[in-house]
Amino acid sequence: MSILYDEGQQAIATESRRVLEARTSKDRLLKLLTTTGEVDQPFWDTAVEQGWTGLAIPEEHGGLGLTLAELGLVAQQTGAVIAGAPYLTVGYGASQALVAASVAELQAAWLPKLSAGEVLGTVAFAEGTDPLPAAPATTYADGKLNGTKPGVTAGLTADIAVVLASHQGRPALVLVELADAQRSVIDSYDNTRLYADLTFADTPATLLVDGEAAATLALDLLARMAVITAHEQTGAAEALLFTARDYALTRKAFGQPIGAFQSVKHRIAELYGFVEIARANCIHAVASEGKDNFLIAAADARIAATDAYDTAARDTVQIHGGIGATWEGGLHLHMRRARSLAVEQGNLMFWEDLLVDHLGDAA
Amino acid sequence: MTDFEAYRASARAFLDSVAGEFAKDARKGLTVEEDLALGRRYMATKYDAGFGGISWPKDYGGQGLTHTHKLIFDTEEAKYGMPVVYFGISLGMPVPILMHHGQDKEFAKERVIKALRGEEIWCQLFSEPSGGSDLAGLRTRAEVDGNGWKLNGQKLWTSWAQYCDYGVIVARTDPTAQKHKGLTYYWVDMKAPGVDVRPVKLAAGDSHVNEVFFDDVRLEDSQRMSPVGGGFAVAMHTLMIERYIATDSAGFGPPLDLFVELAKTTDYRGRPAIEDGRIRSQIARNHAMRAGLDSITARAMLMMQAGMEAGPEGSLNKLVAVRSRQRLSELAMDLKGQSGFAYSEHNSPREEWTNSWISAPTGRIAGGADEMLLNTIAERILGLPQDHRPDKGVPFNQIPA
Repeated sequence: MSILYDEGQQAIATESRRVLEARTSKDRLLKLLTTTGEVDQPFWDTAVEQGWTGLAIPEEHGGLGLTLAELGLVAQQTGAVIAGAPYLTVGYGASQALVAASVAELQAAWLPKLSAGEVLGTVAFAEGTDPLPAAPATTYADGKLNGTKPGVTAGLTADIAVVLASHQGRPALVLVELADAQRSVIDSYDNTRLYADLTFADTPATLLVDGEAAATLALDLLARMAVITAHEQTGAAEALLFTARDYALTRKAFGQPIGAFQSVKHRIAELYGFVEIARANCIHAVASEGKDNFLIAAADARIAATDAYDTAARDTVQIHGGIGATWEGGLHLHMRRARSLAVEQGNLMFWEDLLVDHLGDAA
Repeated sequence: MTDFEAYRASARAFLDSVAGEFAKDARKGLTVEEDLALGRRYMATKYDAGFGGISWPKDYGGQGLTHTHKLIFDTEEAKYGMPVVYFGISLGMPVPILMHHGQDKEFAKERVIKALRGEEIWCQLFSEPSGGSDLAGLRTRAEVDGNGWKLNGQKLWTSWAQYCDYGVIVARTDPTAQKHKGLTYYWVDMKAPGVDVRPVKLAAGDSHVNEVFFDDVRLEDSQRMSPVGGGFAVAMHTLMIERYIATDSAGFGPPLDLFVELAKTTDYRGRPAIEDGRIRSQIARNHAMRAGLDSITARAMLMMQAGMEAGPEGSLNKLVAVRSRQRLSELAMDLKGQSGFAYSEHNSPREEWTNSWISAPTGRIAGGADEMLLNTIAERILGLPQDHRPDKGVPFNQIPA
């Protein structure tokens, strides 16, 4: 695509913002923080109703056949409202693994249901502190999966997962139904992410891809999910920028709006810089999908967006003073989400290293 | 091939054809005077080839093309290191203002062509010891003198004034009016009696800026380029005229590739520095920042080509890029360690980290200090309030000095 959005893409952004703003409730989100295994159902119903689950799934499998660009635009809006369920990004990862692996019966069995939101998919690549282990300790052999995947997003409720495992000493991507896995609940600082440790003990699984192709595909999927997450982070950072701006215009101290003090005003102007640089990198990344420079562009987007959301969460709370640190004020919802998104799909250190490694190749 | 792509190709063809005579390598080891002379020859060659005044009207000697054509040419030209720095301000602001606001069109046209050919150079006499960021605080005064004016005072930080033939100047004509309202805009002959130009040596060792003193300098009323008391609006027009100049995500310092190369070829604790996490992190952060700025610029170009107005995020470029260039330059010097103490003021800040480092403060101040740029973003884009301004509404001569 071009780095200018077309009219259809702009319409998706506007419409998704409109429905989400109308149906989001801070009180509901606050309540969900203290429970595990639950999502903000009105949010998820909206996502399914709007067809976002099938946005990037090919039309022959029941989806809308659109691209990373459209899903990214929706993700910006879901980030702005602190989406109450994690399925859009990881569900995209699972469905794209099935699309790429091209096993006809698996595609027929799962893609239409994933597209309709009837089945929830996720991705389990990470082990220990490594987002993408070269030699996973989880093993696949003879149709069975063994091992543990820690902190899997949507792990508590997803129906299927695409798992990075070792197969005869080489990497492999396998599909597993989670009804047959053991889920261990993680009571987290951001519970609607539905984190769980997943343990597989001779769990039936199906091989999707193995060998070098599996490693390459896993990295590509991780990069594409990271680009969606970067959009989500950027949308959230932008929402915080405006929250901070609006508060600085209304809150008065020493006889004037606090936004008239340069210490506050410049902090907000700096946030604008973080947001616009992250947004520009996101656009560049989706425009680079399928090109040689995609991994570098994805890393740029991920680094800039993580930096933007972390900074925006930190500074917006600071600008709000005491009220920013209260439970009811709700800004901690963004603090929590900024950190959970910063870690999911590979942390800053992972993407910095990946970027420098690929720069080295290019130079 | 679109019109713009074809234009880019023709620009490259021209630049390639003259690179041997004028570009980076031909300039090595030249004194400033020799380099300026080379620059004047380059400007004449460029004008004769049809690449001077690209976006200016044909009846002033320009090419009558769009601003996008000019940006395309400037972007290509910047890759060659041509000796154009002496003419940047001249052609960027004062000469376009002369076209807009000069009283005598024939005089203006003659000046425009000589300026485009590098035969004459114009400076911009705005900043003063008591008015830089606060431009309207300036104290140089023009008083009625018969049928003309008499100019007295001092300007500061005037780039290339020592080589200039003319300048545009803002002076105070009514000290009893509020500060923005008592200013008037003129052009001035830099060779006139009473004009005294003294170069100021900067931290890097070079002297491209000057103090300029005016002692009873005679101005004809035909040199006036604004209504009496209406000079501030023309000054603002001057500063806005090139809203989308060719930008550089490297902040006019070295490209990131040069840092990566340094990190690969420098050992730290027995292994290449590129393997050190701190270095890797800085490379990655700078890459992401520069890629974002490049994407903003690319999008602005596409929007302008499509006839749309580009977004305000272009204003981030100088603020973000120069600041990070300063820090990256420091890190490069750290990497070089004791092998990096050598310094020559004749090296280019685009090629040498020490030159980039020591001249970076100028970049963070000239053309809008970081703090002013942050104010502009906060006020114009985000709608935040102006700072507290005790001088607002007060006659200039009653503002405490």
